[in-house]
Amino acid sequence: MKKIITQGTITILLFLVTCFALSQIEWIAVFKVQQITDKTEQKLGDLFWEVFKKSEKEIKNIKVVNSVDTIVTHICKANKIDRNKFKIHILNKDEINAFALPNGYLIIYSGLILNSENQEELTGVICHEIAHIELNHVMKKLVKEIGLSVIISMTTGNSGAEVSKEAAKIISSSAFDRSIEKEADIKAVDYLTIAKVNSEQFANFLYKLSDKENEATKYLTWISSHPDSKERAEYIIEYSKGKLTDYKAILSSETWVKLKEELKL
Amino acid sequence: MIYIKQFSYEPGEHEAETASNSYLMSLIAIIVGLPLPIINLIATLIFYLSNRKSTYFVRWHCTQALLSQLSMLFINSYGFCWSVSIIFTEETITNNYIAYLIAAIIFNLTELIVTIYTAIKTRKGIHVEWWFYGPLTNIICKSKS
Repeated sequence: MKKIITQGTITILLFLVTCFALSQIEWIAVFKVQQITDKTEQKLGDLFWEVFKKSEKEIKNIKVVNSVDTIVTHICKANKIDRNKFKIHILNKDEINAFALPNGYLIIYSGLILNSENQEELTGVICHEIAHIELNHVMKKLVKEIGLSVIISMTTGNSGAEVSKEAAKIISSSAFDRSIEKEADIKAVDYLTIAKVNSEQFANFLYKLSDKENEATKYLTWISSHPDSKERAEYIIEYSKGKLTDYKAILSSETWVKLKEELKL
Repeated sequence: MIYIKQFSYEPGEHEAETASNSYLMSLIAIIVGLPLPIINLIATLIFYLSNRKSTYFVRWHCTQALLSQLSMLFINSYGFCWSVSIIFTEETITNNYIAYLIAAIIFNLTELIVTIYTAIKTRKGIHVEWWFYGPLTNIICKSKS
């Protein structure tokens, strides 16, 4: 019996030691897992952006683009995030919506800017989307919502344009998990605080949306893709408590007004 | 790892063939080509149950094959669950995961080679006892006489 226990223990130990020894090797680098993942993300991002570019009109007005770019650059600089990895595109659409696509694409609808009462509200939503990109939520959501097989067929070019369109629709208008949303909200508050932007305005924006939550309107996509706005506003307020109060506006009030005017044209 | 020993009696031609088949049953998953780790075990278990009233030599080798499959089931099931969670949940591919898979493949390959070797030897009526599984089988499987 003693012999069996000894031999059994040695066998188990041998397996564990093999596992441990093998885990010391950087397999991720050996198999270029990261490179493959990055390439897939790049392809998917470009594919989705092509879909939106074809169906919506992009706003290329230099004043609008520069204003939004100033906000994003400020947030990135303050939080030491590489600005170059984000590709910001503003689309002319009445929907109150903004979303992140793979490979750092950040799409903002003009409806969101026009419905933001002040720049802090817009900055809050942008920070929330940046958080989704930084926390790698976009790819996770894609895998969960449309499945790995569809993603592989899309990146290898074996699927039709309809599949890409359908997937683009899902990524722009369906919700993340509640826990993932919370994670992005909290990260967004951190970004806002470091950038000296009032995060309470972001919470106010959510409160405002929650009032409209029952209104059946097609323009409120960001609400349908981000449910429980009221609850989210509450924990943002709670998390923001006691944080910095020395706020600084990113855009001058004239620039903000001009931005909205340009979009109304 | 494996020891050739003298069995308590000389097995007959038919006994040697049946005992050898018990090892071949454990290779069935490769033939079926299914990734499910439980297939091997089920095949070996069915063979074991249908031969439990057979001669001592046959029973002994059926038990050794079954025991070895049982421990591989744990290793493979864990790897299988891990892979499934990577595909369907938020889990990502890590160094530890790849290391576990390679370790599992090494152990599976070793088991495969030993299984084929034992099947060949047993077919010739030679009694082969494995490290750990042999002594364990000796405790579980007793001669009726």
